[in-house]
Amino acid sequence: MKNNKKLNNVGIFLFFGGPSLFAFAVVFLIPFIVGLYLTFTNWHIINNDWSFVGFSNYVDVFRDKTFLTQLEFTIWYVIFTVLISNFLAFFIALVLTSGVKGERWLRAGYFTPNLIGGIVLGYLWQTLFSRVLPFLGQQYGWTLFETSWLTSTDKAFWALVIATSWQLAGYLMIIYIAGFTGVPKDVLEAASIDGANKSTILRKIILRLSIPAIVVCIFLSLSRSFLTYDLNLSLTKGGPFGSTELATYHIVQKAFLSNQYAIGQAEAIILFVIVAVVALTQSYLLKKLEVEV
Amino acid sequence: MSKLKRYSLMALCLVFLLGTLVACSGGGSANDNNTAANNESKQQAKSGEEIKLTFFNTSAEVNTVFEELFKKYKEINPNVTIELIPTPIGGAQIEIFQSRLASGNPPTISNLDAGHIYQYRDMFLDLESEKAKYEELTLPGAVEGGVFEGKFLGIPWTAQGYGLLYNKRVVEEAIGGPFDPSTIRTRDDLAALLEKIDAAGIPPVMIHGADWSLGAHYFALGFSLQSRDLQENLKYWEDVKAGNAKLADNEVFNGLMDTFDLLKQYNARKNDPLVANYELDSSDFAKGNTALYFMGDWAWAVIGNLEDRDSEFGILPLPISNNPEDYGNGQVAYSQPKLFAVDNTGSTPEQQQAALEFLEWMLTSEEGQQAIIGEMGLMMPYKDLKVESSNVIARAVADYVDAGETIDISIINYFPSDYWAKNGASMQKYLVDQIDRDAFYQEIEAYWQSVE
Repeated sequence: MKNNKKLNNVGIFLFFGGPSLFAFAVVFLIPFIVGLYLTFTNWHIINNDWSFVGFSNYVDVFRDKTFLTQLEFTIWYVIFTVLISNFLAFFIALVLTSGVKGERWLRAGYFTPNLIGGIVLGYLWQTLFSRVLPFLGQQYGWTLFETSWLTSTDKAFWALVIATSWQLAGYLMIIYIAGFTGVPKDVLEAASIDGANKSTILRKIILRLSIPAIVVCIFLSLSRSFLTYDLNLSLTKGGPFGSTELATYHIVQKAFLSNQYAIGQAEAIILFVIVAVVALTQSYLLKKLEVEV
Repeated sequence: MSKLKRYSLMALCLVFLLGTLVACSGGGSANDNNTAANNESKQQAKSGEEIKLTFFNTSAEVNTVFEELFKKYKEINPNVTIELIPTPIGGAQIEIFQSRLASGNPPTISNLDAGHIYQYRDMFLDLESEKAKYEELTLPGAVEGGVFEGKFLGIPWTAQGYGLLYNKRVVEEAIGGPFDPSTIRTRDDLAALLEKIDAAGIPPVMIHGADWSLGAHYFALGFSLQSRDLQENLKYWEDVKAGNAKLADNEVFNGLMDTFDLLKQYNARKNDPLVANYELDSSDFAKGNTALYFMGDWAWAVIGNLEDRDSEFGILPLPISNNPEDYGNGQVAYSQPKLFAVDNTGSTPEQQQAALEFLEWMLTSEEGQQAIIGEMGLMMPYKDLKVESSNVIARAVADYVDAGETIDISIINYFPSDYWAKNGASMQKYLVDQIDRDAFYQEIEAYWQSVE
């Protein structure tokens, strides 16, 4: 009798959870484990050699100076992207919850960039940076835009940051809006009756009560910008002269262009660890700031 | 709570088990399929039933032309179906090929870069039995381009040449008279021409700032120009890799870079050299906004369809010294960039046979040649062509080919697959004066020495 019930439970679990678990395992878990194993071998597609080499691939990663510079580059990129996109999203959300005319249309408008795929978005901005802005720059003598932003090492970095932030902001905005609407009206009312001005309400009440939204937004923007690949590919192709290769871009190049699969995979694992550590630490730390109403 | 945990653990195990089972059965059924396909195709050969071929194409810009050809072939041979495996233009092409190989599902026919055929040489069918036939059909030397380590692995089908393209109208207006390309045989000749064009108020030369153009087409020329003998060139390359040869001591490389300095000085994209917009650069050249263009006959794919473009174009060799007799000053670079190879790892003999028959039809029939020459706008290194090319630049290149005045650039087939990106990046730095000649040579040498 008891056994029957057990079996029944397993059956129910498999019925509901099985398909998604299966999909998760096939497209994520198994490839991840195989990938992890790959980093300890010197696998190469041509000789299909799986011999075990221990940690030597990881040693090679730390000898790969380009990867380390690209990693540093990626970290700067992530810092600026996360800051800019979150500030932007926060203030847009603030404005769009204060009862502006045409709020819904504006919200939809700001969200649209998210519906465009990274590749298309990259080409869009590429045209803007390499054709439209230089044209305007030469026409009106704006020195900042006279040459394409994508051909200078520093400006190409900002081009990447701007394009990513522009796309991310709309998405984060939605989450912030949800967070703001969760702030109880009576608390706000009580505060204004007590004589708190707008900035005090913003700092002391809205900001504190939307910590959960902030945690989610920072987590999302962190992981998304760490793993940017498509935009990098279509906007700068890593150029000029490889100076804007983000870590993911470098990994793909290493594996598939230079045919060093195992080292590329080891770099991917290292990147995974970095992203996981950074994202989890921030959500742990920020969660401590949460307050209950 | 603990019960739930136990169940979920059990479920997880089950999923894993399922996963491995599926994986196993997947492999098994693939094998079954293979043997089944084997048996089937044996019967098919007798009864003339369906044979299915796959065609992996890295000439992505002409995917549709190939598909049309497959349809036509099916009309003639109803039992052969060819399926195209497309790749994106300028995107992840070889990655798709790799994943096909890794999953044990290789394409029957592959249209690949010669260098890739060399890399994956163990996977392709040795076409020894076809060699004599293709030697008969093609221009002298064409078959050699598909021979790797003594084995004929790739059937040549297209040829490309590159050098300094010129827009005839613009050059003639600038020098005020008819232009004879054979007068440009030294760097000084070129400098004088560039100066005249500049004085006429036209941006003299377009350097396309992309890494592939600078790294593979410009810089790699230095390795090809060491001597007329491929073995000598390979030996020099080995010396560079071993650190025994310094580029700074090499006359050819210094000459090549001196010419690059000259082109740089007269570059039409001087104020922003790395924009590298291929369509824009090509159309600016075609419309006469610049007189010369370091590019090849493939640019016709863009130029040919432009409206209000000029109609007469030619090609100049890239002079790398002031001695008109030096190798390279009177020759244009010429190669067979893509080859057709037939798989020898997962295909049945029937499939291979059908593939070879199809390739021969495509390369010799009028429909096939019309598609390659007429629609793709490519040059074919074949004798007795039934179709005339509309590609003016290709015809200019063909004059050099007929005269035997070409540079053999097949050394690049032996280079590692990332050389153009790495050398190209260094060339880009040199182009925008971020590094000087010494630092440039150091970077290049450091790259080659890191190659195994």
